[in-house]
This record gives sequence, structure tokens and C-alpha cells, in this order.
Amino acid sequence: MVAKKDTAPDMGKPVEDAMSGVIRLRVNHVWHEFSLGRDIQPTETLAYVLRERLGFTGLKVSCDEGACGACTVIMDGKAILSCMTLAVEADGHEILTIEGLAEDDPVVVAFAEQSEPGYGTAMQCGYCTPGFVMTAKALLDANPNPTLDEVKEALSGNICRCGCYTAIAQAVLNASQKISTQGGTHE
Amino acid sequence: MSNAYTPRVPRKYIGGYRPRIDGFDKASGKVKFADDLTTKLTFPDMLYARVLKSPYPHARIKHMDITDVEKLEGVRAVLTYEDPEVKKLKVTNAGWTDGVDILSYDRMMWYPMRDRRVIGDYARWVGDEIGLVVAAESESIAEEALKLVKIEWEILPFVLDPVEAMKPEAPSVHPELRKTNVLPEDPVGGPDVFVEKGDVEKGFSEADVVVESTAVHHNPNQGSLDNWCCLMEWKGDTLTVWSNSYEAHQTRMHISQMLDLPLSKVRVICSFVGGQFGRNDTGEQPFFLYTALLAKRTGRPVKFRHNNRESFLNSRQPAIYTAKAGAKKDGAITAMTFKSIGDAGAYADHTMFALKFGPAEIAEVALAHVPNLKLEAYGVYTNKLPACMMRGVANSQFNLSFGQIVDVLAEKLDMDPIDLSIKNFGHEEEALPNKSLVEVLHEGARRIGWENRHKPGEGPVYEHVRKRGMGFSFHPGWHAEWQEVRRGRIQVSLMLNPDGTVMLEAPTVETGSGSNTCNLLGCLEALSFLAVRPEDVHYSPVVDTETSLRDCVQTDSSVSYLQSEAMMVAAADLKRKICELAAPKLGAKPEELDIEEGNIFVKASPDTHMEVKTWLMEETDLAPIVATVHRVPLDLNTGIPFIATFAEVEVDTDTGEVDVLKLVVLHDCGTVMHASGAEAQQLGGQVMGLGEALYEEIIYDEARGVPMNFNWIDYKIATMADFPEVEPVLMEVWKGGGEYGACGIGESTLTCTPRAVLNAIYNAINVRVDELPVKPEKILQALGKI
Repeated sequence: MVAKKDTAPDMGKPVEDAMSGVIRLRVNHVWHEFSLGRDIQPTETLAYVLRERLGFTGLKVSCDEGACGACTVIMDGKAILSCMTLAVEADGHEILTIEGLAEDDPVVVAFAEQSEPGYGTAMQCGYCTPGFVMTAKALLDANPNPTLDEVKEALSGNICRCGCYTAIAQAVLNASQKISTQGGTHE
Repeated sequence: MSNAYTPRVPRKYIGGYRPRIDGFDKASGKVKFADDLTTKLTFPDMLYARVLKSPYPHARIKHMDITDVEKLEGVRAVLTYEDPEVKKLKVTNAGWTDGVDILSYDRMMWYPMRDRRVIGDYARWVGDEIGLVVAAESESIAEEALKLVKIEWEILPFVLDPVEAMKPEAPSVHPELRKTNVLPEDPVGGPDVFVEKGDVEKGFSEADVVVESTAVHHNPNQGSLDNWCCLMEWKGDTLTVWSNSYEAHQTRMHISQMLDLPLSKVRVICSFVGGQFGRNDTGEQPFFLYTALLAKRTGRPVKFRHNNRESFLNSRQPAIYTAKAGAKKDGAITAMTFKSIGDAGAYADHTMFALKFGPAEIAEVALAHVPNLKLEAYGVYTNKLPACMMRGVANSQFNLSFGQIVDVLAEKLDMDPIDLSIKNFGHEEEALPNKSLVEVLHEGARRIGWENRHKPGEGPVYEHVRKRGMGFSFHPGWHAEWQEVRRGRIQVSLMLNPDGTVMLEAPTVETGSGSNTCNLLGCLEALSFLAVRPEDVHYSPVVDTETSLRDCVQTDSSVSYLQSEAMMVAAADLKRKICELAAPKLGAKPEELDIEEGNIFVKASPDTHMEVKTWLMEETDLAPIVATVHRVPLDLNTGIPFIATFAEVEVDTDTGEVDVLKLVVLHDCGTVMHASGAEAQQLGGQVMGLGEALYEEIIYDEARGVPMNFNWIDYKIATMADFPEVEPVLMEVWKGGGEYGACGIGESTLTCTPRAVLNAIYNAINVRVDELPVKPEKILQALGKI
């Protein structure tokens, strides 16, 4: 397994690479190469490889079958369930995990600071939070000024058992407002 | 939306609206849960353990052949029920303690109900751990290995229904213990009739009105996202345990006692837990033991983690409650009885906590003024997943019945149920009416618009089919300081560094309840005389039994104030020590000194002063000043505050769907410790409260005894799209003992929700549905439409 910062080959992967079993994942702007069969197995999920091989433990594997959203990462700009994606399917793709967000990412800050009266906090145990943050980030990248209904629709694939839905929705709206005044989200 | 409460006593830190202290680390994914600390990267040589689960609800292994299991490449150890280290493990129970106290094997709370073998040859429900465990190089190899075992089963008759299970001819779930499935009377829970006051028959004969009701609570699952796991590693004869157990010291006690190791040879490390909610009783689960044995055998670290489906390991205890109440025409209740039949599932664990221990406490704090009272309960084994501990154990089941009989009685008396409640219910130490109950119910009524409530079935109707109604339910809160005396010494330590920074030790495994935030706020409040700022305090989220004081377990919803109360005592001690150290320098006696805003001064001549941290750094030996306190909660019987939920619903009488339009959730907290966190609990609890009322249910294939929906696709948990408008209301009416006199609220946020919703449904459609969850088909059945 080799990590190379921004020195990887073109996104258009040569056919012989697939034959030789090299898998390349670009995670948070850094390319990682794996030998298929030696470093990773064809049955391994993207979630497993990100957590167990690369140490990106922000995403969580909870239901491991696409029901809860805790494993959400962003692939090529879209929120995806990394437990439902095989690592080999992500070959050559751009993946953003929560570790790839800036310290002052407006979505992270909005979730962290949510505390105004009537809404509660945007997390309690925090296990689902990275999944919600990444889903919200993908939403705001695509739609910087969502309505409350659009937020609810976009985030209704994620489960928060502590039930912080009211505050999470408000945090996303707060982040949206911050983005529109500051311009753009960070990675 | 803004309904900020006003604190009774304004304080600098305690009580305010502010972010959680772990908000940023959680929002940025930096918090490490047990599963994150035990990856293949961190433990490259670790093995994975998997355990066989019974496919039958009731069966015995006649013969087992593991030849092919052992042959599979990648399998490193196989442990079966016939191995000597397994056979010698004592018969146990998964609920040694309710988490309040630390208990050993001999002193476990429900010692008459030890009924679990660790990896035995006998299965009592589909999913029972049985036969063998394996350790392999990967989880998939371990899974594959389990498929290779050859078992000759003796399949036994089973029983799922608790009422059927009570009959003498029913198959016995625990034939090795007793022929009947009805659990024995025990010294902790008491006799079958566990509360008996006055003469209920006489009370009913004196009543002008007598009513009866039935309420059936069911089996929702805790649904923690953070699947339970452990990693076991031996170094010599010392075992280190990483786990998302919520109680580090009790886990150490459990492992020490079951594996016959000295406490000093077991080190348990716990930090954050991704939601506890009472899952799996208090955690004396077999997986800790067989994973440790596998690690011993292989000499390698071994990890065990339930998958999501296996996390359906335990549920709230289903209970069938029947209640009866009699009253005079003016609403004075003359007698009440409650009788419950609880479905324990395959193992007793904390069944009698739910059926007797909890309700006995409720009787004391809410039914004390009912002159004639009788509570009776029966726990019954069935071949289903074990049941019991879940957020608000006992209270949720009891409230479903209590709130119903109040509603039924009020209607019969043609009285407002709010007035009926205020007239009759309160704590034994307080005269009626109970001030807390009065204010909570009147505030709830105001916020929901109770004056617009109609008689049952006479409310507004939309598009001819959608009917609206309102309901409420109330309950005593829990727990106040005096109810936590059994916890023993609460241990905290404050260490003042010479530069003015503080090392706070207040060990508790943070499960999401926000106790760590309350502890930081409590520390800042207690040390306000030193002008300590939030960034000056170091507070580790890790509980490590090798170095930590005893952890204060996040049960009873009370840690938010218990450790802060102890910190007030520790802070006073710290102040005294600083004054003693500074006295010679200031030329005064220690008792002549005081400290404010970080300055120490002579009370009689305030001009003689110095800044504490400057003096410590420049003129002392630079040794930190430490105050460690062991404080038992105050045994002052101050009574308890009240809580309530008000609901407005709309029922579609064509489809049977219930739309919850609004919930008002009210808590008299005594003192609000962290307002944003408290409101988060009030709001968040409704995911479970509404789930229990309307959506969540474990469904069995009754012909085969197989649970059908141990997954979050078929077991419905509310998402953001399902969540209604909820108004959280924090109040400070009652006050308990101590500086803050607070009362827990975390568990109780959902206690009243199902009953409030069910009463609102009745108010909408004038037909009662008695059984949870109220799915559309039950509404349509009640309306006679199907």
C-alpha cells in the first residue's frame, strides 16, 4: 500500500492496472494504492478499508446494511453509504471523509455550536454525527440555501437514536446562512 | 422558536444555554469510540471472535462435531461448552446491578435468578449464544467457521406468549431451575403483592365510581448505533479490556469475579459510548468472558463486536397491566390496584426491577396519598429475547397504565383529568396539592391549548375523516439526591496546578447524556472563586480502572448533578488548603482569609491580597494542590418533582394513520444544569417515545418462534422526516438537597409520551386502543373498519 500526495496517475485508469489488481483510492486529496488480493480483498467494503486499513475512523459502521447513514462519506461530490460500496467500486474515485474537512468547516462548526433555546444540541452520543455532517455537507454543496423541508428530505436517510433532529436541521440552516455570508464551504 | 427558561438562581456556568464540551470533537469525527480504538491498524495481530447463535427457540445440543471448524484456514481457536475453562464458569445473570452500585457475584442484585450459562448446550431463544465460539484472522473466516459445525439437536417445544407460559402445561423454559415459568418471589423485589396499603376492597366499596383498564406495553429495542464490543489483550497474567461498556468498574468486577482474577489484574478502559439507553441490562454479558478466554488461548488480542442484528440482544420488558380505581363523586380516589404480567423472555436478569422494584418506588413518590393501594406483579419466562433494562425501566410500562386509568376515571367522573391528578397524587412527604405537579400540568395545559380540548370524538374533523384530539400523561421524575444514597461514595478530585489551570477528575463514561458537559460546568462554578476559565480545565473523557477513581455510572439520569455536588465539597476543601498554604505569607490565620476572582486576601483588610496563581508560580514549591472528595449523596427526603407530556394528534379514520401534530414535554428539574443539553434530551427522547407509541416493534414468526425484524429496515426508527414539532419546557419549581438540588431528566423524557399520544388518540376518535405500538391496523380494528 502506498500513499502519494497528488502525484497519482490520471483518473482514467489504464486497463492493465485493473488486470494487475491495483486499486487506487483518492482520499482527502491523497492517493492510496492497494494490491488487490494482498492489501485488500474484493469483498471488502469501502467503509472497512477506510477505517481498518487507512484509519479514517470518523465514519462509523453501525447497521452495515444501508439503513442508518453513519458510514456516509462523499464520493465525487455525492453523499454515499460506504458500507454499501465495495472498495473496488471506489477505484479511481475521489473520496472525502470527515477527516478531510477543515477545522473551521461551517457545517462542523454549526453542529458543534448548536445550543440556542428550543432546539437542544445537534448531538448527544455523537456516533451518528459524522454521517449527518457529511450528508449535510453534500446537500449544501449542491444546494447552498435549502428550505427546512429540503433539509429534512436530504437527511432522512440518517438515524440519530438520541433524536437530535430539531437541532441538526437548525444547524444545517445555520451553516447554510454562514456559507451564504462567507461564500463557499471548505475542505 | 424561543422559550428559554429563566433560572431560579442565576449562575455563571450552571444552567445556561451553551454548546456541549465535546461538540467540536464529535462534529469533526475526532472522538474515538471503542470500535475506533481497536482497529486492525492499532492491533495488527488481533483476531476476531464470533459465537454460534441458536436457530431454534428451545433446543439442546445432543452432539457437536467441530472437526471441520478447526480445519478451516485462518481459525486460531475454538472454544466449546465441553472445554474445562468454559465448564467451570459460574451460572450468572446479565444484570448484577442496576448500575447504581458496584456489586460482586455473591452480592448481585437478583441473586435468586442466576439462570445464564456462558456458552452452554441449551438454547432458550432464537439468538441464544450456544455451543461454541471461534477466534479467526478475520470476521468472515470466523463466520464461515461457525457454518461448518455439525450439531445434532434435540428440538424442544417452546412458548412465546407470557399468559400461555403461566399455565402448568406450558413447556418449561428453565427446566433445570423450576417447572413453572413464573419467576419466584425474591427478597429484593418482594412478594407477588409487593405493595399493599389499607384495604382496597373496602376502598372500592366506598367509591361512587369504579373503573378498570388494560394497557399492553411491548418490546422496543434500545437501538444504540455503537454496537457493543470489546477487545481483550493479555500481558502476562494481566488482562486489558477496551470496551464501550458504560460502567468501567463494574465491568472490571464482573470479569474479575467470573474469571477468578484479582481486581488489580483486570484493567478496563472505556471512553465514549455511542448511546446506551439501558441496553443489555447492566452488562454482565458472556461475551466479555469468552473473548478473554480466546485471547488467553491464542496469546493474541481478540476483538468481539456484535453486528447490528445481534444488537437486538435485549428489549424493554413487555408488560400487560390491568388497573382499577375507585373515587368519590368529588374525585377523591378511595382505592387503586395495578397488576402486571411481565414477559421476561429467556432470562430473568432485571425483570423484577421493571415489575416490582421500579413500581414500588413510583408508589412511594406519586401514589402516597391514595389511601388504599395494591400492586401485584408476575414475571414469566418465555422463549423470546431477554427483556428488561431500557431507558426509563419500569416507569414507561407503569405510566402507560397509570395515565390511562387517570384518563378513564376522569371521564367517568366528568372531571378534567388535570384536576383529578392534582387532587390525588404526590409524594408522601408533601401535602396535596403538590406544587410541582400543579405548575407542570398548568404550564402544559397552557402551551398545548388545553382549553380547546373537546369531549372524546367531538373535536375538529378535517376532510370528513381526519379527527383531532389532545391528551396528556404525567409521572414522578427520577432521581433526586436522596434516591442515590445506595450509590455510595461519589469520588471526584480537583487538582490546582501552580499556573492556575485545573486537572478535573470526575470519572464517568460519557454515553451522550451530557454529563461530561455538566461536570465541566460544575467544576467552573465550584471554582469560580479562582476565576477559572473553561480553557483552564483539563478533563479526560477516558475512564481507566488502572488510574481512575470509581466511575459514576450514567444510570438513573443523575450523574449530571451528582458529581457537581461533590465538586462543591471538593472546591471548599481546595479553598481551605490554599488558605492554609498562603496564611504565613499574608501574616494571617487561614480562617481569616478568603479568595475571590483569583485573588486571596485578608477579610479584615482586603488591601492585603495577592493573585493566587502568581504567588503559586513565584513563591511556592510548585506542587499542585489537590482536593479529593468521597461524598455520599444526602439522605434528605425532599420528595420528587413531576414531569408531563401533552400531545395533540390527528387520526385519519380512513387509513388509521396517526399524525402527531405537537408534543409539549415538561420537566421540573429542580435546577437545570445545562439548558441546551436538557432540552436536547427532552426533544431527543421523543424519537424513542413516539417509536414506542407508534412504530417500533419486534415481530415474531409465531409458528417457528423466530424474530423477523432484527434490522433497521424492518424495525422502524423515526428519522428527521417523521419528527413532529416538540416544545421542550424546563422548569425549576421543586428543589432537592445539596447546592443545586437537581433531579435527573434523561430517561424520563420519553416516559409519558406513549400514554399522552394514546389518550390524545382516544380523545380524537372516542375509541381506546390499549396495545402498543398503535399501528394503523389497530386504529382501523378499533373503529370496526377491518
